[in-house]
Amino acid sequence: MSAALLLRLTVEDFLYREAALLDDWKLKDWLALFSPNARYEVAPTGDPEAGTLSSAESLFLVADDRERLEQRVIRLQKPQAHAEYPHSRVRHIYSNVRILRDTEAQIEVNSNFVTFRTKRGITATYMGWHRYLLSRHSDSFLIDLKRTVLDLDGLVPQGKVSLLL
Amino acid sequence: MAAIVQTPLSSRSRYLWVDRERGRFLVHRSAYTSPEIFEEERRRILHRSWIVLAHESEVPNKGDFVVRQVVDRELIFNRDVDGKVNAFFNSCRHRGAAICREPRGNRTRFVCPYHGWAYKSSGELFNQHSTFGYGERFNEGGFYDLTRVARLDKRGGFYFVNFDPNAISLDDYLQDAGPMLDAIADQSGVGMEVVRGCHEYEIKANYKLICENSYDGYHLDITHSSFVDYMRTMVRGIPVSEMNIRGVAKSLGNGHACFELEIPTGRPVAQWLPVWGEEARLEIEAKKKELESRLGKAKADRISVTNRNMVIFPNSIINDQQTVLLRTVTPTAHNRMIIRAWSIGPKDEGPVLRRIRNEGALSFLGPGGFATPDDVEMLELCQRGFENAEVEWNDISKGFRPEENTLRDYDEHYDNELQMRAYWFRWNEIMSAPESRG
Repeated sequence: MSAALLLRLTVEDFLYREAALLDDWKLKDWLALFSPNARYEVAPTGDPEAGTLSSAESLFLVADDRERLEQRVIRLQKPQAHAEYPHSRVRHIYSNVRILRDTEAQIEVNSNFVTFRTKRGITATYMGWHRYLLSRHSDSFLIDLKRTVLDLDGLVPQGKVSLLL
Repeated sequence: MAAIVQTPLSSRSRYLWVDRERGRFLVHRSAYTSPEIFEEERRRILHRSWIVLAHESEVPNKGDFVVRQVVDRELIFNRDVDGKVNAFFNSCRHRGAAICREPRGNRTRFVCPYHGWAYKSSGELFNQHSTFGYGERFNEGGFYDLTRVARLDKRGGFYFVNFDPNAISLDDYLQDAGPMLDAIADQSGVGMEVVRGCHEYEIKANYKLICENSYDGYHLDITHSSFVDYMRTMVRGIPVSEMNIRGVAKSLGNGHACFELEIPTGRPVAQWLPVWGEEARLEIEAKKKELESRLGKAKADRISVTNRNMVIFPNSIINDQQTVLLRTVTPTAHNRMIIRAWSIGPKDEGPVLRRIRNEGALSFLGPGGFATPDDVEMLELCQRGFENAEVEWNDISKGFRPEENTLRDYDEHYDNELQMRAYWFRWNEIMSAPESRG
């Protein structure tokens, strides 16, 4: 097996593990996959250049540094996070995983995704792509960046991004 | 019908039940649930009120345009090659196709994709893509130019439209909401601008529920307790003694209302939070000085510490907090609406404060934040609860005094419900008036 193929499979394995933690709402374990300076972002919908925008200059849906991401995880585990109480059922499907760049320091990865969320008899579908920056950590990875770009003009009919995509 | 004991000022209509003696102010839930009443609202209110369309900064250059929904209409808002600002219905005068298919851009002409009718940015038809079949006087007097929205005017940088040619002027309509818009424009000496990126989301609820929610101070502690927990971590470094929320509610005339809060949760213009760091502190101090030299100390102080949530009747929402958030509300049915929200800040804002503005906006007021998803949830729970039609009336009595002059009053408690009563009082006036058939 080529080194490139092995890397992709190893990365896929890591991403599938990440998706499974989200599906199971094991958010503390999910948070542990992120590095101390990590960012988690969801770009604005309806902008054809959403994939290249910066959250410092544009209004994103989510632009968490590590501290706000921790606060997000804490909040989502409270009954007072009403939109997610009781937790919706979510299913994260990742596909088309590609290694875009592989340096000593970081691996840049793209993945298409579809995430289904069901609550009170209504299923919402979120689709788009994730960009990951991964750094090597012991025999696995840590996420330095997870940036999500939705293929949506707006959150119609989804209404909100109360879940983690 | 059984007689109802009333004081002279109490009243009961199909929609509103005002019992001043008992301090009750009730709204009939059919106003949120009936498709027929929604149709009537469209005719009587939504098509005859001034509704916010866009901010002037969205079309800075000649040829710039954006396409916007207003109620059930789709409009092209543009600056033509002569620099004039226009609002046209997005429909070819020939056979009706929407001529503009991009949400925004720059065009000196609009060409219909169906038969090629071509319009200048001023709306003037100049070509029908045919050398024969039309007489010379066909477009005499601009007969086939793009149709303009009846009324277009601006206040404090915000453009409003009204589909009713006989409507009163925007300034008369806005009453005391007008100076509130001026105060937003005052935040910058060089002008305000819309930040790139729109928050667009659907709520499966009647559109009036988001209006009520936007200036409802009463729900903050309960619905948003998890956000309040988050804010506590953000305001660390501020003494607890300074954490008292002071606020008032005001009805501003014509059904417009707001609450104003003094709460030290930080504003890019211009109230610093220790967690924002030293660089931000210097920028905010500079901004405060600029405000003081331009507007005087009293006005500068007021802009720096006052958060304000305002609803301009019937569906224009402007929240002035971590950012200036313009929320347009497009009702698509009696039980559905689409919100589109834009963040607005000073054109000359530096990168540190701009980042803080963006993060503040998305963490509280956005559909991916720590509060708005829970508002969406609450509004949908209300709409669901309304299905139990045997429960007929909604209560908005908090703070209701027998002598309240609802359309022009003041309440020293921001978390009473005067704001909503002002809205419904006006709504009921219009909906209960005899309808002129012309």
